[in-house]
Amino acid sequence: MRSLVTRPLATVGQAWLALAATLGGATILLGRILRSLVPPRFDRDETWRQLYGVGVKSAGIVVVTALFVGAIMVIQSAFYVRRTGATSLLGYGVGFTVFAEIGPILIGLMFSGRVGANNTAELGTMVVTEQVDALRTLAIDPIRYLVVPRFIAMIVMMLMLMALGDVFAVIGATLTADALIGIDPQVLIDSLLESHLLDEYLLGLGKALCFGVSISVLSCWYGLGVRGGATGVGRAVNNSVVANAAAIFFIDFVMGWLFPVGL
Amino acid sequence: MSGAVAIRCEGLGKRFDGTWVLRDVNLEVRRGEVLGLIGPGGHGKSVLLKCLAGLLSPDAGRVLVDGEDLARLGPLGLARVREQYGYVFQNYALFDFMTVRDNVAFPLVQQAHLSAEEIDGRVASRLSEVGLGHALDLLPRELSGGMKKRVGLARATVGEPAILLYDDPSAGLDPVTSSKIFQLIARMHRADAATVVVSHDIDRMRAVCDRYVMLDHGQLVFDGPEDALGGAPDTVRAFFHDAAATQRRGGA
Amino acid sequence: MNARIGQGFGAVGAPVVAVWRHGWAIYSVFAQVVWAIVTGAIRWREVVRQAYLIGNRSLFFITVTLGFLGLISVYQVASQIQRILPDFTMMGPAFIQLMWREFAPTITGLMVATRVGSGIAAEIGSMVVTEQVDALRMCNADPVRYLIVPRTVASAVMLVMLTIYAVFVATLAGMALADVVFNVDPSTFVSFRLVTTADVALGLAKALSYGFWIPIVAGQAGLSATGGSAGVGWATTRAVVSSSFAVILLDFIISGFGYVVLNL
Repeated sequence: MRSLVTRPLATVGQAWLALAATLGGATILLGRILRSLVPPRFDRDETWRQLYGVGVKSAGIVVVTALFVGAIMVIQSAFYVRRTGATSLLGYGVGFTVFAEIGPILIGLMFSGRVGANNTAELGTMVVTEQVDALRTLAIDPIRYLVVPRFIAMIVMMLMLMALGDVFAVIGATLTADALIGIDPQVLIDSLLESHLLDEYLLGLGKALCFGVSISVLSCWYGLGVRGGATGVGRAVNNSVVANAAAIFFIDFVMGWLFPVGL
Repeated sequence: MSGAVAIRCEGLGKRFDGTWVLRDVNLEVRRGEVLGLIGPGGHGKSVLLKCLAGLLSPDAGRVLVDGEDLARLGPLGLARVREQYGYVFQNYALFDFMTVRDNVAFPLVQQAHLSAEEIDGRVASRLSEVGLGHALDLLPRELSGGMKKRVGLARATVGEPAILLYDDPSAGLDPVTSSKIFQLIARMHRADAATVVVSHDIDRMRAVCDRYVMLDHGQLVFDGPEDALGGAPDTVRAFFHDAAATQRRGGA
Repeated sequence: MNARIGQGFGAVGAPVVAVWRHGWAIYSVFAQVVWAIVTGAIRWREVVRQAYLIGNRSLFFITVTLGFLGLISVYQVASQIQRILPDFTMMGPAFIQLMWREFAPTITGLMVATRVGSGIAAEIGSMVVTEQVDALRMCNADPVRYLIVPRTVASAVMLVMLTIYAVFVATLAGMALADVVFNVDPSTFVSFRLVTTADVALGLAKALSYGFWIPIVAGQAGLSATGGSAGVGWATTRAVVSSSFAVILLDFIISGFGYVVLNL
């Protein structure tokens, strides 16, 4: 009977300890990264390589996701517009949700899955095959060589993809509005432009920046901490995407609280 | 000691991403004999073994089991043929979410010909034959390498298969355990069964194998018993004796 | 010159061919799973075990993410309402309705795709590279039937239950925020006035589809793992991306179908 009470408590306790360990470790890593940025001491070639790699990997999936996100938001907004008859609000509804909320979250999640997981897998494999140890014996700091280039690349890419994603989400929304709901694309775009959504757009970019930081730091932290061969790498990728998803929602909440936007 | 042909390869070829790993392999595996598959590492021995088992399908030529082309069998035919096989994997491949007993019982349970009591009986007797009667309820992660190899052996042989395939049975094991494994291989071999052993352990293979087949860069360069080595090309003889000499000097 | 053109086509064509092959591989697993279910080849004890694992792994995660989602959404919307017309009576009901229709199933689906999808690919991928899947085939156990079918059935059922739980969590969080920050009475917020059976049906249909497809996509990624620890890592990555995308694609299809065909 006692275990009925103590076991759930132990699980919750363990979860909190794991959370603390992750937050602590990730913060320390972030500190080391920032120290390598000022003054800038990191491998520039590797940074360019990462920028290219990250961009190529994620552009496709983000663009396609954005198209569908725009489409889905139009369908859901249209539902309410039809009930309330406020057709002019369609542009506002779509724009607000896509730029400020759903866009950043979904693009963040996709980026975390495509690039974050990949990152953890790459670094994890390097740890397991002792390449990271080899770097250290050559007196190369793994942070400067491996982590900082990825950090920079992922933040830059995340911002660019957010901007790109916004464009494609609007395209997806427009196409769906035309094809499925019968609303003239021009009407939708006019309504969007008249809604003065600059604040929302900037908030979305700001969130993207923070997601870039959290995704790169967390994915690198999990990748470098891999233990145990093939299963260890798989488990690290698993933990990494989960942690990133939770962080995305948490950051989204905090940013929304700190920078309230709207009419 | 050769009987009917169990497996025949005709012009077998296998390709991975454009590179031919096996080329024009013509081979017969006969019942009643133990065939040793040797050759330098990475030249296609494991791939050939998997083709013999039907785990890989040929990109050229065919593999015939008792006259039937493996590539042409539907799922039911393949299931029927598979029941004849026992395969011991290089890295044990034990199901890590099952106990030792369930691992060994698995092929029998899948075949669904026997009752639960009969299965239990066979599993227990096979495990005591390999010296693991006490390990029935352990999980694979609680076993040593040698013990896992023996469980793999038990699982492969519990269905009294007619074709036994061993992929590097003594890899990574200490000399004492290696000898035990090869003794078990000799014991599991039956007069009506065909056994193929892939290994670098020439000395221990000598005690068990009737005939040898050597692969070099995916092609068969030797096929015959040890005393036919006299007529073989120098490379083959060099490999055979070098490998044997290294072992005697101080390797596994 | 011709070589350049050829290269150009190759560069564009190669990803298209890759996507096509990937899609075909997923379809083939889907067909095998459906056939297994239709012919009743389901190991129910394994289904229950998987359901327990899925529920256990996801519960805390869903609570956290959907809790925050509830907080964010209500905060944003309530701030707007407060500025325009301080009448909060419709906020709660509309919030709950939108949760049922869209966000509870989809966000839960994405979270499960992340948590469980990567877990499935990691497990199955590890089994592939340690030759356990080959061992299954030698013992005449079809890997799709043995590994993927139980997870598919379990995941479909659990996702429905987790979605219902998600609506509950998000509503609770939203209600708390509305009360504490905007002084909205909980009984005003928690009202099911606007929720119709159609809304619930739409949400549950989405949950069921997501739950069904996630193990198929993730399992296929796991089965295609090659090459040791690196291979398992790539397979897990592919599983997360593909199953997340599958959720979004299904969301679009079902929402679109519901709107256009069924006027939902």
